[in-house]
Amino acid sequence: MKQMLNDLSGEDAVFGHFGATGGYALAARRAMHEFGTGPETWKKIAVGQRKWANLNPNALMQSKALTEADYDNARWVVEPLRLPDNCLITDGGRAIIVTSLERAQDLRQPPALIMGMGQHNPSTAIAQSSWMAGPTGARQAGEAAFAMAGITLDDVDACQIYDCFTYTVEITLQDYGFFKPGEGHDWLAGGTIAPGGRMPVNTSGGQLSEAYFMGLTPLAEGAMQIMGRCGERQLGPQTRTKSPEIILCSDNGGILQSHTCTLLRRL
Amino acid sequence: MSYNKPLPKINADNRPFWEGCRVHELRFQRCKDCGHVRWPPSDLCPACHSTDSGWLISKGTGRIYTFAVYHVAYHTAFTTNLPYAVAVVALDEGPRLLTNIVDCQIDQIKCDMPVSVIWEDVNEEITLPKFTPLASEPV
Repeated sequence: MKQMLNDLSGEDAVFGHFGATGGYALAARRAMHEFGTGPETWKKIAVGQRKWANLNPNALMQSKALTEADYDNARWVVEPLRLPDNCLITDGGRAIIVTSLERAQDLRQPPALIMGMGQHNPSTAIAQSSWMAGPTGARQAGEAAFAMAGITLDDVDACQIYDCFTYTVEITLQDYGFFKPGEGHDWLAGGTIAPGGRMPVNTSGGQLSEAYFMGLTPLAEGAMQIMGRCGERQLGPQTRTKSPEIILCSDNGGILQSHTCTLLRRL
Repeated sequence: MSYNKPLPKINADNRPFWEGCRVHELRFQRCKDCGHVRWPPSDLCPACHSTDSGWLISKGTGRIYTFAVYHVAYHTAFTTNLPYAVAVVALDEGPRLLTNIVDCQIDQIKCDMPVSVIWEDVNEEITLPKFTPLASEPV
């Protein structure tokens, strides 16, 4: 295991730098410096997503409440990231079947249609990056996906954002244009992303509170919500949210080095 | 006790860098065509793709671009160092180096803080470049 850690981390291991939490902690710290974000913003993401997980029988954290005070009292992993800023470690799987609309119309379940996709991969040796505080690949990937779909942010009813860390959710929403740099704290205030909020985000609990299935956690939840298969957490009147016509899903890799945006809609 | 932390893997590309560290010189490749100073070492200049390069000796000063404070030891050899700071230092010559910030209060570390290199002699072959806040700066 030690050998594997060393091999994966290359020269970084020499300085005690290992894995994703450290990498995202570097990015999050630079963002704190450049546009004034921090744990006060990230805890709203962790707490909001946990409320969705509490409605999801498949969520690892379904039975565990998370308050802002719990977040404040949680231990550091790699500062500025606390334990609830980190995604879960999960064994399991998730799949999506992609087929033609013609074929999908004969199936038992209503389909979710892919109306736009975009990718952007600003990859580099991450230590040489001068954009750790954004814009990440989300900016151009989002623009491409929205152009393909012919819609704007105003048409989006909910988001399923790749959430390896709370900060990833903030910078992704920010780069898509939901708010200006540093305005995430105010945008998130008052339960914006939680049940009953005006822009639900990560309605399964996400990778922070449901399960970590890489990009399939957000994408599968987006499809399931469009298909109306989400039970107690279903978007619509029962969770005091908009019934979803269009859902934005994101995926992200490396230390914010690659990005995919997928827009799904109801038939 | 012998040094039990991971050591750099020296190869033909990075050998001049680690040999420089051993004599307390921070060396980086500079492109002889466009002047770009690069890290990590490579055959091609990432700015202009020239193969013609030499090595310059850095002044060893720069600023902290960003940093992270480890409170968990992912490798047992770092347990006694907790909490410790990993940083990306932007050298005045241009390259950014992943390193540690040492010999200062952890809660005094800030982004854009000026730092200079200090050397940790690990064994006969290896010396690690680490950084500390410049003495002239109020801390």
